Amino acid sequence: MVSPRSVRDALQILDEQRENVRIVAGSTDVSVMLKDGNIREECFLDISHLEALRYIRMGRDRLVRIGALATYGDCIRSSIIRRNARILVDAFDTLGSPQIRNLATVVGNLGNASPAGDAIPPLFVLNATVVLESVSERREMPAQDFLVDYRKTNRKPNELITEVSFSPVRRGEVAFFKKLGLRQANAIAIASVAFWGQIAEGPRFTDARIALGAVAPTVLRASRAEKVLLSGGLSRERIGEVARICASEAQPISDIRGSAEYRRKAVVGLTQLGFLEVLDGLRSRSGNESPKSSR
Amino acid sequence: MPRKPVHPANPASRNIRFKLNGKWVRVQTPPAKTLLRLLRDEFDLTGSKPGCEAGECGACTVLLGGVPVTSCMVLAGQVEGREVITIEGLSKRRINPIVKAFVEAGAVQCGYCIPGFVVAARGLLKEVRKPSREIVCSGLSGNICRCGGYSRIVEAVMKTSGR
Repeated sequence: MVSPRSVRDALQILDEQRENVRIVAGSTDVSVMLKDGNIREECFLDISHLEALRYIRMGRDRLVRIGALATYGDCIRSSIIRRNARILVDAFDTLGSPQIRNLATVVGNLGNASPAGDAIPPLFVLNATVVLESVSERREMPAQDFLVDYRKTNRKPNELITEVSFSPVRRGEVAFFKKLGLRQANAIAIASVAFWGQIAEGPRFTDARIALGAVAPTVLRASRAEKVLLSGGLSRERIGEVARICASEAQPISDIRGSAEYRRKAVVGLTQLGFLEVLDGLRSRSGNESPKSSR
Repeated sequence: MPRKPVHPANPASRNIRFKLNGKWVRVQTPPAKTLLRLLRDEFDLTGSKPGCEAGECGACTVLLGGVPVTSCMVLAGQVEGREVITIEGLSKRRINPIVKAFVEAGAVQCGYCIPGFVVAARGLLKEVRKPSREIVCSGLSGNICRCGGYSRIVEAVMKTSGR
């Protein structure tokens, strides 16, 4: 294990070592692999001392930026996240335990690329961008393009993910995250649904993004369901239809946490739950005032 | 000019300096040894308990940089320069009020999970001074008591906070 003190040194090590390196930040994944004997410790690149990457900030460009070392706990406690992306607080509150949330990093969840990574569906619907750096290059790509398959990303062996960024959820926009786990705390998702949408009179959505977690080799955008959602007003009937289409877009497998069939049913339930809450929220607002965002 | 290579030497062990229960300490250790094992083996601080050693049970909870973490998931090399407080560090001069409340509430049965609960509660009460019952429950959701003593544990934490 090596523990560089600067991003530059870390990138240099990555450049020299390439494939043989495993990047470790919060170590919540690798500590378990080490215990199970599934990994060698010699090849660890411990980036936990790169304090320059421990930040959550809003730039002049009005993008919320989460550095590679920001933990879930940091995000939940951050007023920037609470004000601008409540959906992340909702999602991160369901992830692991308080102790794990104080170690695990948001960027690590992306790098690990598990289909059940709870940070990923909300980041997908927020249209988040991943920043990758190497000794010679800095590039950005949509989080959605970054994740290519089960535990496979577009990160080149000499690159470090240094940041993830996204636009705040604004007035007139709604977002939610719903997850089913086997228990309330420390539970890996059986299925999850994230949504972001721009709302107009009707009510109807003028723009919408739906992402499904833990029901395919990677987190998935439910693009057919999004089209149906945009095709007309938001009613109970449409919500039911959208939920059914989400379930048909899922490609779940059966594992120890649940069967494929159960997962599809979970997707229906979670989607309905989320949208019915949106609908109730809109109805409970009085008068002709324009819809406010429920962040 | 080419930079000198920063080849990882991969030393089998490393000299680590960190602040432990208020005092700076140094120790020679394999860097990927867990903090839990480091505390128990090298410092004889056996209050942090090995339970699952996979982040599930919370018996090994310590404060790292002031926030509760499962010490079984922290690698020794990562605590360099940081501050660690264990259950032993919470009651140095006098018995910690949380510990006292646990005793008074009869919250301790077999006792194995208790140090983890106390440290997690300390972390929670630092963040929220007067938490609701719901917040106490979620703050302790990373700790498991196999005796099932949750209601008295929650009661003890509520009592400490003066609620």
